[in-house]
Amino acid sequence: MAPDPAPHAAAVAAGAPSLGSRRRRPLDARRVARGAVPYLLITPVVVAIGAILGYPLYHLVSLSFQRYGLPELIQRQGSWVGLDNYRSVLEDRIFWDTLVRTVVFTAANVGLTMVVGTLIALLLLRLSTPVRILLTSGLVLVWSMPAVVAVQVWYWMTNFQNGVLNYILTEVGFGDYFQHDWYASTFSQLSMVTLLIVWGAIPFVTVTVYAGLAQVPRELVEAAQMDGAGPLRVFRDVTFPTLKPILLILTSLSIIWDFGVFTQPYLLIGASHVDASNYLMGVYVYIEGYAHSNFGRGAAISILMLLMVAAMSIPYVRRMVRMGDTA
Amino acid sequence: MRRRAWDAVGIALFVVLVFPVYWMVSTAFKPDDEVNSLTPTWFPTSPTLDHFRDAMARPYFWDTVRNSLIVVCAAVLFSIVLAFLAAVALAKYRFTGRKLFIVAMIGILMLPPAGLVIPLYVVLARYHLTNTLTGVTLTYLTFVLPFAVWTLRGFILGIPKDLEEAAMVDGSSRVGAFVRILLPLVAPGLVATSVFAFITSWNEYIFASVLLSDQSNQTVTVWLSYFYGTSRNTDWGALMAASTLTAVPVIIFFLLVQRRIMFGLTSGAVRG
Amino acid sequence: MRARIIGAAVLVGAALAVVASTASGGTQATNSITVWLQTDAQATNWEPIVKAANAAFQKDHPGVAVNVQYQTWGNHLQKFDATLAGGNAPDVIEMGNTEMTKYMAAGAFQDLSSEKASIPNSSTWLEGLAASGRFGGKLYGVPYYAGSRVVTYRTDLFKKAGIKAPATLAQFTAAAKKLAAQNKQKGFSPVYIAGTDWYVAMSFVYDYGGSIAKQVSGKWKGTLASPRSIAGLTAYKSFFGAVSKASKTTDEAHPNPYDVYAQGQAGSMIGPAWFSCCVGDKYKASTAQFVMPSRTVGQPLPGFLGGSDLAVPIGGNKALAVDWIKAYTSNASMTALRAIGNIPNTTSLLGSSVNERAAKRSWFVPTAKNWVNVENGNILRNMLAQILTGRLTVKQAAQSASDNITSVLNANV
Repeated sequence: MAPDPAPHAAAVAAGAPSLGSRRRRPLDARRVARGAVPYLLITPVVVAIGAILGYPLYHLVSLSFQRYGLPELIQRQGSWVGLDNYRSVLEDRIFWDTLVRTVVFTAANVGLTMVVGTLIALLLLRLSTPVRILLTSGLVLVWSMPAVVAVQVWYWMTNFQNGVLNYILTEVGFGDYFQHDWYASTFSQLSMVTLLIVWGAIPFVTVTVYAGLAQVPRELVEAAQMDGAGPLRVFRDVTFPTLKPILLILTSLSIIWDFGVFTQPYLLIGASHVDASNYLMGVYVYIEGYAHSNFGRGAAISILMLLMVAAMSIPYVRRMVRMGDTA
Repeated sequence: MRRRAWDAVGIALFVVLVFPVYWMVSTAFKPDDEVNSLTPTWFPTSPTLDHFRDAMARPYFWDTVRNSLIVVCAAVLFSIVLAFLAAVALAKYRFTGRKLFIVAMIGILMLPPAGLVIPLYVVLARYHLTNTLTGVTLTYLTFVLPFAVWTLRGFILGIPKDLEEAAMVDGSSRVGAFVRILLPLVAPGLVATSVFAFITSWNEYIFASVLLSDQSNQTVTVWLSYFYGTSRNTDWGALMAASTLTAVPVIIFFLLVQRRIMFGLTSGAVRG
Repeated sequence: MRARIIGAAVLVGAALAVVASTASGGTQATNSITVWLQTDAQATNWEPIVKAANAAFQKDHPGVAVNVQYQTWGNHLQKFDATLAGGNAPDVIEMGNTEMTKYMAAGAFQDLSSEKASIPNSSTWLEGLAASGRFGGKLYGVPYYAGSRVVTYRTDLFKKAGIKAPATLAQFTAAAKKLAAQNKQKGFSPVYIAGTDWYVAMSFVYDYGGSIAKQVSGKWKGTLASPRSIAGLTAYKSFFGAVSKASKTTDEAHPNPYDVYAQGQAGSMIGPAWFSCCVGDKYKASTAQFVMPSRTVGQPLPGFLGGSDLAVPIGGNKALAVDWIKAYTSNASMTALRAIGNIPNTTSLLGSSVNERAAKRSWFVPTAKNWVNVENGNILRNMLAQILTGRLTVKQAAQSASDNITSVLNANV
């Protein structure tokens, strides 16, 4: 255990109300108790997650090394094939195309979500109270729609036959969008999915950043403003550093979610339109692994996805972990 | 003047963001021929409550609402408490295995749910928890907890050190300082996290649909899928009405807690 | 805040109490059976038939409760897989007839061959439906009900154009031209067919004597590139171009053809007979149906015989399950199912409704265990989109799809 940096903090940590020489106490029950505190604090979480996810995680990994289709599922017995599943996936052209497509998709989604979400949070600070309440309520309304419902509404608004989107675009004068099929090309399909996902993700980012803005020390902001700093400077020097942990978390979470997203693309593009030309990783693992009942292969793809997402989030995770070190 | 311009932007943003929600709610009130008209009807000219009646008359509506509320409240409560404890440990203490724990938390979030559905079902079947709300709640906990721990840790870390130290110099014990000064500061984070936990649990579909096969046990999102999961007629009006109804508890919950977030901004960082 | 915590704790306590009292878990007591039917059977005119079957079953088995759980087509197979893995599969399950082969080949169902004789009407089962329940010479699925495809049309528009129900495809095309001339509004389709509606497109293929795939010495071979299949596809392309303004790349549920019809944008539509339920109040009175003609007089276009089978998963209580199936497919039950517009599972009860006449000539998908993967991969839909948009010639698209199908059907999963 690393020694505490400041003497008075150590004294406080020992539970003493005053500064002093308690630091040099020999190992005793209290010290041990103090050392055990963090472990006690994390035990409930570890137990809760371990009891439920422990076996499934082990099973997922072991499945990825087995030949495990529907017959094997029924007999509860697979056959060991080593790295065959991984090899078949990595040799599959579709896997690599999907990966590239998903990375680009994720970058676009995360970028839009974080930028727009943070801007709206900053905007909220500048609004008069009634408008702020209005906008916050609007965000809650958006946030409260389940993904499956949002997809239905979105589809309904953009559908070929009588979608509102086509009507608005034609009326406003962007051209003739009568019965324009927004789901005809891969780019169009994925753009619709992006809009839907970003729309749905903004409230969470905005609310969380807004909560984080609450922790920005008021007097530092005022001091900087009195020094003559403009809003951009204030943001860069005062607001952003305080927000940093939260922005890092949100970005890493967004990457994770957007990379593996399934519901929105699968339901919006539609089960009958989804194929190798517009697969995203979340849909790919579902179709190739589970719709085809090839559970071993599905497990291998899941593990690969996990590794890829981990790789993509390393810079953020590392920074987050290190941030704790200076605390 | 400045404020007026910002307000205009805020209102415009509101209109754009909320339009799909408006569309859903207004469709719920439109009679069938307006729902399906070739040109959109912006405002229901002869609003009807038929769709709401249809939706509520569908089998098990009230049961599923009750089920969802139970699952969600339990999930939120347990996840906030447990995650907060763990987040404090991660943010404030140094112990071996700390880094591993943090990485494990975010690692769990990276798992694609599709891969876990069947293994999880098998585990719950062994505990005889399939087709029960407890099983579903526990499943949700495993996904909400890592997120909550991860986020709350960030909030706790974000509290400036000098505030904590100022509190201790004041003469309060660590726990005392914590509760009096830090807890209110972390409150917005707790609220944001609980809102997320609430909404995630309320809206979750994949696990609920596989784990709960008895319709009287199902949650609201699974109940909704029966509106469009049939190979026959999709009753758009009733689907929109049902969707509107299912959004109500979330809105109520947030309205209840949103004052905490507002307070966070105005309470200021340092007193005196 | 404290009040809220207490409130939440009370709720949790209540929840646990509720859960404890209703925990059914995964164990199957022998005093109840679990039946999975699709939510189609939950319709107000259908559920009484289910209840009647339950009552008949319980007369013979007084202590046994019947727990009917309705599933949706979207994820019922995924749920089924989970229960198979967890060891608590239902006793009876309704499967779509195209879904059967995969599960029969995997050993998911119990062999019902010895029970066949005692199941009502088993000697007169509709062959198109019964074939989907057989595998390796054994019986695994009992035919439940079927549905074919018919043309639902606007009697008033036909009357105005002076058309009668056409007897051949050529006549139908001519009739469509008349309808188009009289209904010039933008987006109006004399015959609404969704571009990638492969059920309709393959009907053309089979009408010309083509097929999707054939089994040759144990291996599957895609046959969409044969001259006859190509003739059928070409005929479909020209028919579609002449009669339908639907999107060339979207399917028959996006949008629903009956929604288009209800907007007044279709003179007729090809689809299941139950489409007539949802044509909207405006056109309900002026809607009727006729059998889709083929290129030869007097023959209907071969229709896809959709339908469901009832099977007993392994681990289920076979005796009770079969008894329930007997009750649900009894003459009384089948007559009632027919009365609400379905095709019954037995030729002995076949009447001459439009639906049933259309079923006289039908086709079915290749009974390969990987067929589901062809559907999931949207191979046929993509082929049709490529053909209709002109991105590929009929020959190119058909060849590519055929090769694709060959490899998918023969893949070793």
